[in-house]
Amino acid sequence: MKEFKFVIKDKNGLHARPAGTITSVAKTFSSKINVICGEKQADAKRLLSLMSLGAVVGKELHFEISGEDEDKASEALEKVCKEKLG
Amino acid sequence: MDFLNTGCTIFQGIGVTNSKAYGKIRFLDTVINYDNNKQIGSVGEERARFLSAVEETIKSTREIAERAKSTIGESEAQIFEIHAMLLEDEDFIDSVLLEIDSGASSEKAVLKSGEKYSSILRSLGDEYLSARATDIKDICMGIIDTLQAKNKKSNQNDEQYILVANDLTPTQTVKLDKSKILGFVTFDGSPSSHTAILARAMSIPAVVAVGKIPNEYDGSLALLDGVRGKITINPDENDVLEFKKERERENKIVLEHERYLRSIMHRPAVTKSGQKILIYANIGDGDEVEGALSNGAEGIGLLRSEFMYLSRQNAPSEEELFLAYKSIASKMQGKRVVIRTLDIGADKQIPYFNLDKEENPALGYRGIRICLDRKEIFKGQIRAILRASAYGRISIMIPMISTLDEVLKCKGLIEECKKELSSKNIDFDSKIELGIMIETPASAIISDILAKEVDFFSVGTNDLTQYTYAVDRQNARVSHICEENNVAIMRLIKMSADAIHQNGGWIGVCGEMAADLSLTQEFVNIGIDEVSVSPPYLLGVRGKVCACK
Repeated sequence: MKEFKFVIKDKNGLHARPAGTITSVAKTFSSKINVICGEKQADAKRLLSLMSLGAVVGKELHFEISGEDEDKASEALEKVCKEKLG
Repeated sequence: MDFLNTGCTIFQGIGVTNSKAYGKIRFLDTVINYDNNKQIGSVGEERARFLSAVEETIKSTREIAERAKSTIGESEAQIFEIHAMLLEDEDFIDSVLLEIDSGASSEKAVLKSGEKYSSILRSLGDEYLSARATDIKDICMGIIDTLQAKNKKSNQNDEQYILVANDLTPTQTVKLDKSKILGFVTFDGSPSSHTAILARAMSIPAVVAVGKIPNEYDGSLALLDGVRGKITINPDENDVLEFKKERERENKIVLEHERYLRSIMHRPAVTKSGQKILIYANIGDGDEVEGALSNGAEGIGLLRSEFMYLSRQNAPSEEELFLAYKSIASKMQGKRVVIRTLDIGADKQIPYFNLDKEENPALGYRGIRICLDRKEIFKGQIRAILRASAYGRISIMIPMISTLDEVLKCKGLIEECKKELSSKNIDFDSKIELGIMIETPASAIISDILAKEVDFFSVGTNDLTQYTYAVDRQNARVSHICEENNVAIMRLIKMSADAIHQNGGWIGVCGEMAADLSLTQEFVNIGIDEVSVSPPYLLGVRGKVCACK
């Protein structure tokens, strides 16, 4: 399993647009991708579930990725986070 | 007509745009058939009915997204892409299917699941995500629309009307025939909702958050007042007359004033005491030259040169830039054209520059700070400007100056470019004017030093305001600070004007403040020599200057 943590810097938090980008990137990988934010957990491939995390600016997202393409998935998602939420 | 409603009924909300409208109100019939409780056949058939409706809705949503891209712009269109993704969301689909399995009709199941997710988003207590609850509702309406396979139109005849709705969703607003809408009224919503944004874009009145207006008023006449944020249903005859008179007066005044402004368009702008002000235009590319000239521009006070660099994969060649500048210079037939060198960074990003994302872009790597590092790109642009200067009257203007060193470095590079051209016997205006933007407080404070190095200043009031007041003008919480107080920025402008005048140069104002007619007299008093505004404001500013003391 791969994992990384990311603190949201975008003042709008994990809103619809970045969440949409994360979901569409996540869907291109076969690995299971869990996002943990505080006490909530979401499947990165499901947009509503991601948006329901209520991940506002300053919160930490903890990504857990497991599966065949976990290395690539982790790298791609970290890049998306930096670009869209950094 | 019956007059059961003897008095008028007033609903108070929040006004979004400063205009008024009078007409029939029409409720947006939001298509939902709450009574459709029965499944069409077996659970399996109902599931299939729902799934095919979702598929169709996704397809049409993507089509709307494509259409929106070209009509309302990429970033607005992105919301429809998000809608398509929400429609594909497995949690949502599963939730609807679960409802269907327990006996609900597709319509009912969609509504119920939509409500579930809307309330989750609303419960997060984040304003931005709460607003997304509307998007969930929007996609639900879309599916129900498709399920019922009838596009109920909210307007069947050609009469214009004031649209009344709970809260308009982006999809609904795209579907509406905008030419028939006189104004918007929404029960919910906020000044930052989609409806409000659209109303502003369409410059029609809107009043949001009025609370529920009973259905029985559908078709009633109403006065919508975006200034006071209220809607008056069945207004008093006198109020209507007053409104119509006001409208007529306004139209007449506007027409007369326009006729007057057109008549003085080609006369110099001179105040009553004889002070002459040059009226120039701000343009973003060569296509705008015509609009500038036809509204009486005496020159181009700001050519934002970014246009040649945007929407492409790599930097434009010197030759391309030269041809574009040359064409603008010749179209202006000897009138001055101030070309501002590349001003990117902050809110203007160009992908092939590969700039890092910054924590605080407004205070970061932008404008001349980038150009002095990417000398080859910068020099290519300067050579192109110099070469074009042989075909008209061109001035160079450098953005985002905050130190003397930056000005000296720019002058050095310009000298290098001149030598390169001379050695190849390429023609250019050897006396080409050099100016800088005054848009950082630092540049205004040392304007006496900078004035010795350049021929002119041009005040970029937008940035100068944000840096002087430490106010992000997009932030509604603080934007009033600089809107209500301009003493500080006016002092900086006056300092700069005095400094450049003492050194025999001239000063212009090219930011948004230049078009604010309530400030024109003050600019005259300070001794501003030139104001530069976008073409639609040219006539008004000329008229105002002529009326100044």
